[in-house]
Amino acid sequence: MGHRVGVIPQSSERGEREAWPVSAHEARRFIQSHVPGCTPVDAPPGDGDIYGRSDEPPVMVQPSLMEGTSFRAIRVADPRTVRGSSGFGGFLDGTQQIGIVSHMGGIPIVWGTVSAAVRVRVDRRLVAWQRRAPTVARRFYVPIRYVDAIPVELRHDGRVVDTGVPDAAGKFPSRHPAALMERAVQRIQQDRELLEQELAEEWCGSEEGVLYVDGSITANGSVAGSRRAVGIIKSHRRLYAEGDAFEVIVGLAAGERSSIFKVSPRTRQAVASWYLRVRNASGRDALFGLVRVEAADGEDITSRADEISRWVVAEGSPLALPDGRWDKMAYGIRDTEEFLRAIS
Amino acid sequence: MTAPLGRVVATERKPNTPHEFHFWTALDSPVGIGTIVRVDGANPIGGQVPHIYGIVVEGFSYTDLQTPMHDVLGHDGSPANAGFSVTERAEIRLYSAAVLRQIPEEPLQPVPMGEVFLAEDEDVATALRMDGYLREGSNTGIPVGVYRAGATDSVIYLDADFLLGPEAAHLNISGMSGLATKTSAVEWLLASVFAHFPESKGSIAAVCFNVKGPDLCYLDQPGQIDDRDRALYEKMGVRAGPFEKVTYYAPYTAKGYALNTLRSNEELLDNVVPLTWGLREVLQFAEVLLNKDDIDAKADALIDFITERVVNRKFDADPHLSREHTVQSFGDLENWFRDLLRGLERANADSWRTHHIATIRKVRNRLSNISTRCAGLVTDSGEVSDLPFGSFDDRAVYVVDVATLEEDAQDLIFARVVSKLREHLERRDLGVKHLIVFVDELNKYAPSDGQDTYVRKMLLDIAERGRYLGLVLFSAQQFRSQVHRRVVGNSGTSLFGRMDSDELATPGYAVLSPATRTKLATLEKGQLMVRHPHFTQPIFVRFPRPAVMQGRDGAERYPQAADVTLEAALYRSLRLLDPSVSLSWAKDMVALYDEPEILRARNAVMKAKPAKVKAYFESQFRKIVPSQPALATTSRSEPAALKPLPLGDPYDV
Repeated sequence: MGHRVGVIPQSSERGEREAWPVSAHEARRFIQSHVPGCTPVDAPPGDGDIYGRSDEPPVMVQPSLMEGTSFRAIRVADPRTVRGSSGFGGFLDGTQQIGIVSHMGGIPIVWGTVSAAVRVRVDRRLVAWQRRAPTVARRFYVPIRYVDAIPVELRHDGRVVDTGVPDAAGKFPSRHPAALMERAVQRIQQDRELLEQELAEEWCGSEEGVLYVDGSITANGSVAGSRRAVGIIKSHRRLYAEGDAFEVIVGLAAGERSSIFKVSPRTRQAVASWYLRVRNASGRDALFGLVRVEAADGEDITSRADEISRWVVAEGSPLALPDGRWDKMAYGIRDTEEFLRAIS
Repeated sequence: MTAPLGRVVATERKPNTPHEFHFWTALDSPVGIGTIVRVDGANPIGGQVPHIYGIVVEGFSYTDLQTPMHDVLGHDGSPANAGFSVTERAEIRLYSAAVLRQIPEEPLQPVPMGEVFLAEDEDVATALRMDGYLREGSNTGIPVGVYRAGATDSVIYLDADFLLGPEAAHLNISGMSGLATKTSAVEWLLASVFAHFPESKGSIAAVCFNVKGPDLCYLDQPGQIDDRDRALYEKMGVRAGPFEKVTYYAPYTAKGYALNTLRSNEELLDNVVPLTWGLREVLQFAEVLLNKDDIDAKADALIDFITERVVNRKFDADPHLSREHTVQSFGDLENWFRDLLRGLERANADSWRTHHIATIRKVRNRLSNISTRCAGLVTDSGEVSDLPFGSFDDRAVYVVDVATLEEDAQDLIFARVVSKLREHLERRDLGVKHLIVFVDELNKYAPSDGQDTYVRKMLLDIAERGRYLGLVLFSAQQFRSQVHRRVVGNSGTSLFGRMDSDELATPGYAVLSPATRTKLATLEKGQLMVRHPHFTQPIFVRFPRPAVMQGRDGAERYPQAADVTLEAALYRSLRLLDPSVSLSWAKDMVALYDEPEILRARNAVMKAKPAKVKAYFESQFRKIVPSQPALATTSRSEPAALKPLPLGDPYDV
């Protein structure tokens, strides 16, 4: 305390109340001073994996074919030759940092930071879109019904998210700390997706180039219907491969895509989708180098799927190593993640 | 206000210190090794925003690639594919800079975070502390070159007080041979010193020893320079022309006909002066020519005796000598020795005045040998033609050409000239208040190892004490590491041209960063690294090509004169003083007199420079009685001699 210019002295209670924390350390101090009786927790923030996956279980879904009469592999690019050009002008990604900063009688008080950014390519180098800083949101995630000591002003502060509210079925979460953590992680993921959607929507409304979105584009209607956004999904917990499609998908060679099928989640927008193998999977697992691409449907979707697939293959260089998902990840996405990690 | 070109960064692993800091720049910034930058601190200290000046000494570049293998994998092992990636990896240019100066200077703190700017003219002056000696009214700046980075084009000044004394002095230049660094730099710097040395500090001249090739033989001839050079001359306020007052000194060849110099072309002889010494001049420096075996204590005692009691004195009343001797030349000394030894033999004596006959023979042998070993420089006859000690001219250059001489003669010339300069400076009667002595090939004359020579002792003496006298040593060599460290250590200012990698690997260069050493190994012609007492770090500068004719060009344009006959040599020498001298007149003279007499007379004329050259020349000979036609008589008469008897003829009574 007091060793650096700009640090607010502890005695300045009013100033401290007004200053919203920007780090887990500050969040811990903040909650200690505002919620009497809570116990600080010194746990390093992570992306939420250590608190249990909130993803849905792996499922196989019957693809609804949009191209041809049978599910098949279509060669679109030859990754062994010099990689082609790419029409992607920008890359959108978001990150999340989740950590328990305190607990009140075993009830976790979670501090979450979500951020999203678009990086655009200028002369083959990636820079911040419109020289913008990342969009960042920092919030406490607290099951208020189980934390009586939380003061009123914080209960009504939009930056304190109540994770103790009932779900769609009207059921309150249990006091089980793991269940509460899973709730918190879900809310933080939703917040991150929201930030990403806002940026994607803004891009589609203002830019001419095509945006490479890390993840699905079905959550936002204007993005899902725009030709300026393409979603690339790297995880395959929901695999559109029921029936004959399975063999086609796992048998895709590098530079081959599957037939186009329709993806129309219940609460989201419908888009055209296809699988694409961006790297040779020989000697690897079946999903190595496999991505699912989402794009807005249209009359020319077949030719667009070929073109977009070539772009995605081209984005495989340079490698996104040392990221563990390097086989599927575009370097532009890794760059965006590093950007967010560095300055958000 | 100019935009920042970088930002200071510091990490726990790579923190900033009071003497070093790190910053990153855009990929296309003009920063490089040797660039001077300014950091503007963000937080005032004691009410003053700190400004830190630094010079880039190391650079780093890397990407987010974790191992090279990732790049190989990414391009399927084909480098040809690598250039076609749609995106370049994120890349950084990270630089380390050594602090030149911090303002305020107290408290001395680690360099703070802040924006980094390219140093402008004013910043460069402040960073190098030049503001202390470029003040109006007390400006002692001597331009050494121009520092360039981005749009900055700043003249770098040396402080005359630290280059030419009295605070510090001496200059040493290192650089590979053949890259026009050492000689060119000295020629340029001499021009700069002559142009900018403050009038208030008095007069200054230079004595340059031309030790190899035609390097310094054309300092009075204009050289080829281009517009860029002219712009540099103009920027630094130095006239782009040859030196106005240059005199060359060279001994004769062994034959004695022509001067032993590459500047022997007839068109250039008007300011070439013979350098010849007699016994008296040489005996004082016999130590230079005699090795330790020669000058044991006994021989040394005899030489001292001869110097003090024999030379230039009437020496008589000795029972062993057949006659009176007045020894003024090597010829006289030889006669004295011969007479003495004959006397000793006659008397069957084995010693003379405590000196053993063997010692006398040895000393005779060694001293007599000097005139042979240094023929052309040392004259038997004792004639002296020397540098104008006592009447040195302000802003004049005196070049002593020893390039084609034997090593002994070179050593003798160097030792005597420097000793005389020192003597006159001590007495304040040289003619100028400050004198620069330029010696190239210091590896040879002041090596770090090997036996202690007279020349090395003299160089050490100049290096250590010369500045108090106004005697300043400008020295050059290829390998600084092989020069005696007291010579280079006493050089307040050091210049470095392109250096050999092996030389840079020696411990003397360990203080330089690897990047600075790399830059030194790849310097272009016309670039120098400068170390000066006011600069806390070495600075890289550019200097213009010297506006004097380079040795190679001069040798092509003014080829060395071919070996000449005695009459041609006589004609060429005297015609410089009197255009009416003709070759036929010279032939007549040669026909009338012997060669030694002709040369002696020629040398006397060259030294005296009389108004009536022919008359003076002829007056140097003994009168020849013209032959008379034989009379038609029966009485016998002596035939007239065709030529006079040779000098020193033992039968001439």
